[in-house]
Amino acid sequence: MTNRTTIHLEINGQNQALEVEPRVTLLDALRDHLQLTGTKKGCDQGQCGACTVHVDGERVLACLTLAAQAEGRKITTVEGLSEPGGELHPVQAAFLDHDAFQCGYCTPGQIMSAVACIREGHAGSDDDIREYMSGNLCRCGAYPHIVEAIREAAKVMS
Amino acid sequence: MTIVDTKIKHGDASDGILGGRLSRIDGPAKITGSADYAMEHFPEGMVHAVIIDSTIASGRVLAIDAAAAEAYPGVLLVLTPDNAIAIKTATDWTGAPPPAVPFEPFAREITFNGQHIAAVIAETFEQATAAAALVKVTYDKTVPISTFDDPRAGEGYPIDMMTKEWGDAEAALATSPVRIKQEYRTPREYNVPIEPHGLIAQWTGDMLTLWEPSQWIDGMSRTYAEWFDIPFENVRMLSPYIGGGFGSKALPTRYGAVAAIAAKMLDRPVKLAITRPQTFTAFGGRPATRQTIALGATREGKLLSILHRGDNETSMNDVAVEPLGSVISIMYATPNFSSRQNLVPVNTVKPGALRAPGENPSAFGIECAIDELAYEVGIDPLDIRLLNYAEEDPSANKPWSTRRLREAYAAGADAFGWAKRNPRPRSMRDGKQLIGYGVAAGTYPVRRTPGEAMVRILSNGTIEVASSGIDMGQGTYTILAQTAAEAIGVPVETVMVKLGDSSLPRAPVAGGSQLANLMTGAVHKAALAARDELIGIAINHPNSPFRDLQANTLTIEAGRISSPRDTGAGIGIAEVMRRTGRDRIEALRNTLPEEHQNAKDHFRNFTTIATMKSPTEGDYSLHSWCVHFVEVRVDVDFGTVRVARMVSALDSGRLYNPKLAESQWKGGIIMGIGQALLEEGLVDDRYGRVMNNNLGDYLVPTNADIPDLKVISVGIPDTHASVLGGKAVGELAIVGVAPAIANAVYHATGVRVRNLPITLEKLI
Amino acid sequence: MRDFSYLRASSVEEARRAAAMPATMLLAGGTTLVDLAKCGVTEPERVVDISHLKGLDTIRVDAQGAYIGALAKMNRVAADAAIKSAFPAVSESLWQAASAQIRNMATIGGNLLQRTRCAYFRDPATFPACNKRVPGSGCSALEGVNRGHAVLGTSDDCIATYPGDLAVALIALEAVVHLGDRTVAIDDFFLLPGTTPQKEHAMQPGELITAITIPASPAARRSTYLKVRDRQSYEFAAASAAVGIEFEPDGETIRDIRIGLGGVATKPWRARAVEDALRGKAIEPDIIKSASRLAVEGAVAHGGNHYKIELAPRVVERAILKTGAMA
Repeated sequence: MTNRTTIHLEINGQNQALEVEPRVTLLDALRDHLQLTGTKKGCDQGQCGACTVHVDGERVLACLTLAAQAEGRKITTVEGLSEPGGELHPVQAAFLDHDAFQCGYCTPGQIMSAVACIREGHAGSDDDIREYMSGNLCRCGAYPHIVEAIREAAKVMS
Repeated sequence: MTIVDTKIKHGDASDGILGGRLSRIDGPAKITGSADYAMEHFPEGMVHAVIIDSTIASGRVLAIDAAAAEAYPGVLLVLTPDNAIAIKTATDWTGAPPPAVPFEPFAREITFNGQHIAAVIAETFEQATAAAALVKVTYDKTVPISTFDDPRAGEGYPIDMMTKEWGDAEAALATSPVRIKQEYRTPREYNVPIEPHGLIAQWTGDMLTLWEPSQWIDGMSRTYAEWFDIPFENVRMLSPYIGGGFGSKALPTRYGAVAAIAAKMLDRPVKLAITRPQTFTAFGGRPATRQTIALGATREGKLLSILHRGDNETSMNDVAVEPLGSVISIMYATPNFSSRQNLVPVNTVKPGALRAPGENPSAFGIECAIDELAYEVGIDPLDIRLLNYAEEDPSANKPWSTRRLREAYAAGADAFGWAKRNPRPRSMRDGKQLIGYGVAAGTYPVRRTPGEAMVRILSNGTIEVASSGIDMGQGTYTILAQTAAEAIGVPVETVMVKLGDSSLPRAPVAGGSQLANLMTGAVHKAALAARDELIGIAINHPNSPFRDLQANTLTIEAGRISSPRDTGAGIGIAEVMRRTGRDRIEALRNTLPEEHQNAKDHFRNFTTIATMKSPTEGDYSLHSWCVHFVEVRVDVDFGTVRVARMVSALDSGRLYNPKLAESQWKGGIIMGIGQALLEEGLVDDRYGRVMNNNLGDYLVPTNADIPDLKVISVGIPDTHASVLGGKAVGELAIVGVAPAIANAVYHATGVRVRNLPITLEKLI
Repeated sequence: MRDFSYLRASSVEEARRAAAMPATMLLAGGTTLVDLAKCGVTEPERVVDISHLKGLDTIRVDAQGAYIGALAKMNRVAADAAIKSAFPAVSESLWQAASAQIRNMATIGGNLLQRTRCAYFRDPATFPACNKRVPGSGCSALEGVNRGHAVLGTSDDCIATYPGDLAVALIALEAVVHLGDRTVAIDDFFLLPGTTPQKEHAMQPGELITAITIPASPAARRSTYLKVRDRQSYEFAAASAAVGIEFEPDGETIRDIRIGLGGVATKPWRARAVEDALRGKAIEPDIIKSASRLAVEGAVAHGGNHYKIELAPRVVERAILKTGAMA
């Protein structure tokens, strides 16, 4: 408790101040301190992709990012992808249509990764989608439907 | 031969709401991040627990030095066997009465590496984690028996109830014109759902609230109640969303007891998150197995004898059976058969259930062996399966309720293009890629336990369905909404489904692929009862516009009640409720037999597996069936195997929602691809430790490992199997995938790999 | 994770001063540091964040070669059109590494300094003995689960594999590591374990990587990176090879060839014996095959990793053929 610092994060367009130890990861800051639990903890060691968020518009792993590192950056989580009760992001809608998930736990990470994958221009072919989505493990085995969903969403977004 | 595509109308009830391709109704919560999984609750004053595990596999804890941890900022308690409050041993899942001894969640005598020995509870997760690293444990170490290949492990002990024999297998084998005999092995495999295990435990007086991912709310609640000697009703377990289980979240765990003990001792809510590495030892996955299979056959390939001996690893003090005879004993017709199984105790965590426990390795053995026999006698691997087709259950001597395996072979072979296969191994090639086609069948039994559900018709005309049954991605929410909608006659959007809460009507374990069938049955029954009551009110109530009509002439469609005399659109349910002054109609129904409609049997039914019916209880043998056709590409120099395409044809009976069932099938197939090519717990024999205890080293498939998968439904409604005609779905499709791939690898390379996974070093 | 203080360096000078202090670690992308801090392998008291330093993420390619600032992210370098065209092996080694998310975080400097994936090294709570962590304490991997461990450059003290991909391409293309005032050839930058496996590179306390440069060459322009692994993606190499070839004007005779090997050695490995055997030769399958065997001269297996001795030459052979066939 001796080593807390106040950090300021811009999350989904809102400024948040929180008092945490420097060792607190962005993932734990989001989930435990800000109660933004859409971002998931699957491995906490950079091996599953469930914690994928956007920092300054690029997909990164929140479990290997210190919250302090993210100060001054713009952070987007799945909660910020579409307005609550508003229209779904095309990727979210495509995930629902194509049944691109089962248990739903890897899903926010998949969706954040998919949005970036399309934006990066890596959704041009199914093989590209597969490769550039390989940082997001899904144990339920929704991969073929994830590929379909991204292919469709990419069309809508272009 | 008819191929029944899921897009073709069946001409039966599945053309209605149930059987439609509705998107999952819990989907919007999951894609927006608002679905609340267990670890995503924040009761006031919550603190964090971290479990400390043994770093030896065999021996004794001599001392735990907690001084540094206790002095660490934020630490509230270092919990050890010496200071933990005593709790009782609970009834096990079979319902066997417990011994009257305390239950100790922490071990003093160490029997496996990774066994819980203490815990640290602190104000924050970071503090608890850091302090746990400061706890010093000293051991008296002994040499572990790490695997069943250690000569000191011996042969283990037989499990007599696994023995299945008819004819004289040994004698028939000895006189068979063609004989093959091989050993097939599967390694330790792990469930690794992406949501790691853990829980939040909170005491309010003698009420215990648990947010814990659970495949069996009622069974686990019973255990907690018995541990702490409180009434069953005092335990509230909440698990509306579960981030995958695959068998690993069905039973109470020792860390669950630790969290509840700590919460009681501190009088604070305690969150205990199992780390990813701990998910390899806090509970078990599939044990390592080895099977010796000898087949005797005619020169034409007709089976004369099957002689099967299997072993699986178990832990030192527990009996964990992976039933290796389950598929080999029913897949093919043979006049002589013998299967026996031993368990070999080793220093490991007690093995658990992982998708199709038993069927999965059993199919790996026989489906590889039959392929070997096909080559031995020189016939097509598909033909040998048809030649030895079991027209009835050869083990139970009962007719199949339905077995659309022939149809599956035909549909799958056609869609795959099996006829284009050159039968000679290593004959098909594309540059540096050796191409192989393989086939293997699978099966999974239909298990049955009575279910229970509440269906309410609310004053606004909407419907509420409630059960403690769970949805970990199988689609329970969605198919129960469809069931109720169809039974009552309302649009599915007007049905709200509540699941995963012990305060709701009871449900048995979501395991053995039984939940969909038993819950649709219970909801169907309750919904019809609610509908009957609604119609009764409609014709009897003085204020009803339908008073004095015959009950059986009223219809409900799209939420509107109408009589044959009406020419209009009928009257909405809400309007009838309003006019008759009803604020709700409620029907709580279970599917227990009449003689078990009492409190004791009811409790036993939902909190133990004692009443689960075997697939051969009754006049028929009930099973789902499938076949997988695989094309692999093996790099001729590197030995890397990639699945290029797959076609699977499956008979799960009637599908309540083909869209979701197909997802489950594909999920099983993908897990099977991982099992075939990647997954293996690597044990350091010296330490009895699983070394690759993380998702970077225990490899599961990535998106790039999975090609397009085609699944074809060949099932027809099977009302012997379940009320509404479905059979097992969730665990079926993984069965047979690994042997299909192994057979394809043989076809591609000429190398027969009989020990999974098929990694590159086995092919170069 | 042990608690630490966090501060952001405002200049390279400040970062270097900080790096010279005991128990202090520099934080760039964080993908190694945060990971290993969670494992308990690194226990810094001070973490100095250099990720916000300006001007250290330049990517510049000209006729002389490439200059890549230490803080340039893996994904940016991989996608850089000039890098792709003049140094294809570099781009390929990067996009086949880790995952898209990690490549967005990890920097080029940090990438070079990534630590081994040896499971014994990564689990100090269970395996106190590790010569890399605690010099002289022993090595559990020698007789343990060592399927992924090295067969080249090993010693009696350590067989931990260098896990990276980029450095394999850089070894082949003779890159230079800039440590502010001084530069070190990349082959000299990485050290063999010998009896001091705790020393992995030639940096002194207070030094940090500021950039790497890669000299332009025809061999760099005609280069590839081939990575073989169990899983199709998101996995470290079972064996990999970076190959660059320059042909004589006849278009057939090899004038210059550079070969780096990954996934099989304790450091990014230069297969000079293969290079020597092929200089002046034409791309003929039999010649390539026999020369490629030289890649594993002196290799020592420790049980589970024996296949690497067979696999590595095949990867080299295929990579040479692929590079030779480039347009």
